[in-house]
Amino acid sequence: MSAAALSPASDSPSAGALRSAVVVGAGLAGLTAAVELAERDVRVTVLEARERVGGRARGIEVAPGRWVDAGAAYLGDRHTELHALLAACDLKTAPTEMAGAARFALGSPEAPAATVEGRFPPLNAVALGDLFEQLEELAAAVRPEAPWLTPDAERLDALTAADWAQQQLPHPDARLFFPLFLGEMMAADPAKVSVLHMAFYLRSGGGLRYLNAFAGGAQQDRVAGGAHRLCERLARRLLAAGGVLRTAEPVLSVEQSDGEVTVRTPEGSYRAQAAVVAVPPLLADAIEYRPGLPVRRAGARTGRGCAVKLHLVFPEPVWRAHGLSGWSVNAAGPLLSTVDDTPPEGSPGVLTGFVTGAEAHRFAALPPAEQRAAAVAQARRLFPVLPEPVGFHVTDWVNEPWSRGCYAALFGPGDWSALGPALTAPHGRVRFAGTETSTEFFGLLEGAVRSGRRAAAELLDL
Amino acid sequence: MSLDTPAAAPAPSDTDPLLDSLTAVFRRVLELAEVPADGNFFLLGGDSLVATRVLSAVARTHGVELTFDEFLVDPTPAGLAARVAAATAVAGAR
Repeated sequence: MSAAALSPASDSPSAGALRSAVVVGAGLAGLTAAVELAERDVRVTVLEARERVGGRARGIEVAPGRWVDAGAAYLGDRHTELHALLAACDLKTAPTEMAGAARFALGSPEAPAATVEGRFPPLNAVALGDLFEQLEELAAAVRPEAPWLTPDAERLDALTAADWAQQQLPHPDARLFFPLFLGEMMAADPAKVSVLHMAFYLRSGGGLRYLNAFAGGAQQDRVAGGAHRLCERLARRLLAAGGVLRTAEPVLSVEQSDGEVTVRTPEGSYRAQAAVVAVPPLLADAIEYRPGLPVRRAGARTGRGCAVKLHLVFPEPVWRAHGLSGWSVNAAGPLLSTVDDTPPEGSPGVLTGFVTGAEAHRFAALPPAEQRAAAVAQARRLFPVLPEPVGFHVTDWVNEPWSRGCYAALFGPGDWSALGPALTAPHGRVRFAGTETSTEFFGLLEGAVRSGRRAAAELLDL
Repeated sequence: MSLDTPAAAPAPSDTDPLLDSLTAVFRRVLELAEVPADGNFFLLGGDSLVATRVLSAVARTHGVELTFDEFLVDPTPAGLAARVAAATAVAGAR
């Protein structure tokens, strides 16, 4: 043992040891950070704008005790931090098994859908291969830990994915499929994201094939009982460790002076030695910071992830008896894709519809009765065996005030160059978390967990 | 073996540039160091998305556009080589 270790100064907590922290946002990132801190004897107060925890992870009870994911849902084997956290919270995963044929309606809205084994669309395979080869090449060239330093970053960051497609995809089948693919993969309208962001997203998530795949990929499993349960368990752990959770308290400002942080909400102010802001970029940017941030958290072209998730509930997954998987991809909305989300218990039958990209805005603006009529009519064209649904749920993430989009923020032209270098930069005694601050598995549950752990570790090192 | 029996074993790959080229495509898209000439694409971890990248590479390099169904018949470097060779021969005879 060294002499220094025996000195009286090192026996007492060092001046830098963190004793208190405020966490803004009770989504997966914020709760991960909060629990890490609280279980290391930091007094933690979590402030959440909504009346519930979970953020973009939310459950819908489609039948007594049977839950589906209205938001974030999937995970794969490479999502190691998420798996570890689930195990630590005593939660299990359930495979997203998919057996049977898919339906593809890729012609005009009137043209009948085609039934195809597997998930491969009946389009020109060479043209789609050209698309995927080019996307893989773009993704391979990205510097994932610092996308703004990617070779040719300036040009790739200025160009939208739609412009890129216009230049690079001569075949009509590739042009038809590209926006559907991008919508499904990252809830993006190609006109609103930069090529650099698209390439980064693909790389960060483990490449095209991993991100796209169910078995063996990023959609291999879901959390049994719903992804929101992880957040509920973390909230319980936080409270058990002496932490405080205050819901319905949106944060207005984060002020720092004399080594202390004061976080204000309409209900009061909370003082601590440090803070973690764990809300999506558009919301983090709407908070007032004193002193102000040197670089904003979002720019004028930072977009909302464009996803509306629909759940059509039936007594049974009747499509299975007809050899259909429930998977479909459609050129016309509102249901640009569907997937069988029947709970592992086997009932009720749940067909989840994804309304993504530009179509999400259009659909979100419809009155509820028209939303239901359009979705049910399309589902029954795709799967003629479907009866009238017994339940119908719309989760509009685009207009959700405390998320402002889902799956994740969409970095528009110029965003990576302007915002990227400051994404994880400390602001005095404030740290930023959230899946959009993780260059690994950006936009996914795994990215949220990694960002929360990083922020907590940084504060414990203060 | 009688003299008129065709050779059953595939030619060594160093004498078959077409097979070499297709094996290299498999290795690249599957991110594998080694792929045998009779390696089944799907057993080696390939899926339909990655398969289209093979078809794209074949079209670019050999000028032969194969369909996804044609690829499924014998999804190995050797099977694909035979198909490309046949297509090239047909095109050459026209």
